Amino acid sequence: MALKEVLLVDPERCRGHGICCLLAPELIDLDDWGYAQVLKSQPLSSDELKSASRAVAGCPARALSLVQEGQKDQRN
Amino acid sequence: MNLLPSPSGEARYESPDSVRAVFLAGDAGARLLAGPPASAGAEGLSSHLGRLGAPSALAGADLVEVVAASGLKGRGGAGFPVAQKLNTVRVSAGKPLVVVNCSESEPASAKDRTLVRLRPHLVLDGAAVAARAVGASQAVLYLHRGDLRSARALDAAVAERKQAAIADPDFSVAWAPPRYVAGESSAIVRFLEGGEAKPRFGTRAAICGVNCAPTAIHNVETLAHLALVDRMGPDEFRRCGTPGFSGSVLVTLAGAVQHPGLVAELVAPVPASELLGVAGISSPPQALLVGGYGGAWIDGRSAWDSHIWPDALLQGGFSFGCGLVGVFPNGACGVRETSGILSYLASESAGQCGPCRYGLDHLANSLARLAKGEAGRRELKALERKAASIVGRGACSHPDGAVSLLRHCLEVFEADIRSHSQRRPCRAAHSDSVFPLPSQIEQTWR
Ligand SMILES: Cc1cc2nc3c(=O)[nH]c(=O)nc-3n(C[C@H](O)[C@H](O)[C@H](O)COP(=O)(O)O)c2cc1C
Ligand code: SF4
Ligand code: SF4
Repeated sequence: MALKEVLLVDPERCRGHGICCLLAPELIDLDDWGYAQVLKSQPLSSDELKSASRAVAGCPARALSLVQEGQKDQRN
Repeated sequence: MNLLPSPSGEARYESPDSVRAVFLAGDAGARLLAGPPASAGAEGLSSHLGRLGAPSALAGADLVEVVAASGLKGRGGAGFPVAQKLNTVRVSAGKPLVVVNCSESEPASAKDRTLVRLRPHLVLDGAAVAARAVGASQAVLYLHRGDLRSARALDAAVAERKQAAIADPDFSVAWAPPRYVAGESSAIVRFLEGGEAKPRFGTRAAICGVNCAPTAIHNVETLAHLALVDRMGPDEFRRCGTPGFSGSVLVTLAGAVQHPGLVAELVAPVPASELLGVAGISSPPQALLVGGYGGAWIDGRSAWDSHIWPDALLQGGFSFGCGLVGVFPNGACGVRETSGILSYLASESAGQCGPCRYGLDHLANSLARLAKGEAGRRELKALERKAASIVGRGACSHPDGAVSLLRHCLEVFEADIRSHSQRRPCRAAHSDSVFPLPSQIEQTWR
């Protein structure tokens, strides 16, 4: 079985180009200020993973990444 | 180590000097604040060792095990289990480092600097225990630039310890810009690498902190408790507090009280009424501000009989945060107060993340318009939606704290919100804010 992956936006890098939103409209929306916001509850299905990978590759700010579930939100 | 003068040269703004402290509740007696009274100032080494004896000889995994058994949780705001962090640092690759987080960014909080100024040896002992646990030979004292009183207390204590040949890590000092988010752990890492004291996305300091060395960053109160755990062992340590949150806790009383900045040590959960009695409050105020500026409002009447204690508050959906208990008096406008605090938090955004940089400003302005009676129900609805949209979307949890305060404001001051949204302006529109809103003294992040 494939590892469960989640799509993350690095808020420090995201510059609000919105390209991701064109590449994966079902996964990403732009907020009121034009910054990327992940819509889908995670982890992603294999179809969603494909389109997420396109967005990751297309982001000019390299703000998007796919990481394994459980790797996020561990700041300590 | 020589702490004085600060590298930045001048102290243009010293943090408030009066330290007052009391302890409360239970027969167990105070722990952190036991010993000489606050008026005596910093406790010297001989008094400290005379009262508490020598530290243990434990180190590494054995020491971490003792800490785990004590149940000690972090006092820097998140309540993270200390043993877990220490163990991660201990087993991660690289030369470990300890950071003593003395920055206390919350404007109304005073417990950390009170502790540092009254019990510097307890804090330094804790840093030494953390260093023994992770195998570090260096510890950085991370202070807000301008906090010379804390620096002097630490400087004198380190000198005494050197003279007495106490086995300590090498202490050094870092003077951080006095900004709200500069005390966040990834901002500390970045600053100590020579960068700006701004948070960084995805940093796990315990694994890859300063120059990717495993870094144990702890709040000063956490370290003071750690020094006690090391001496008294887990069972004795657990005699204070509750099963879910062991040891005593420091709280700062702020707002409409006799002496804002009074620090109290709680050795067991106390009803808010009893705690506020110490501060000269004898009937329920309009509301309490708990946890800090990124914390929560609690309705005064329902708070009055409830217990102040980290896990008790957590059960009620409130965070204990930095231990701030602020009194908000009857007659003041909670909507206006919250909009002032939100503006402050917005001005303290590191400005790196879109949702935080633009979102917080927007929330603050929108709430200010509401308080002035310039916004209606539509804008209120939009405000709620936008607040929800920024949660979890910053590199650090700064925006989440602001949203938490806003949400509690909309709930606790619901009647005022309703009246304002019918375009009735604030009764107390021209009064001063109850809680301190420091203006930006320094723009720099280095
Ligand atoms: C915006 C922000 C500001 C913070 N400021 C402080 C601070 O001034 N002092 C502090 O001890 N912790 C502060 N923290 C928490 C630290 O990131 C860190 O979790 C803490 O120092 C760890 O100590 P502990 O494990 O001993 O609780 C802050 C966190 C955030 C998100
Ligand atoms: S393409 Fe990249 S920078 Fe642009 S909005 Fe999407 S994530 Fe942000
Ligand atoms: S969330 Fe705000 S304070 Fe935190 S790093 Fe981003 S811009 Fe800075």
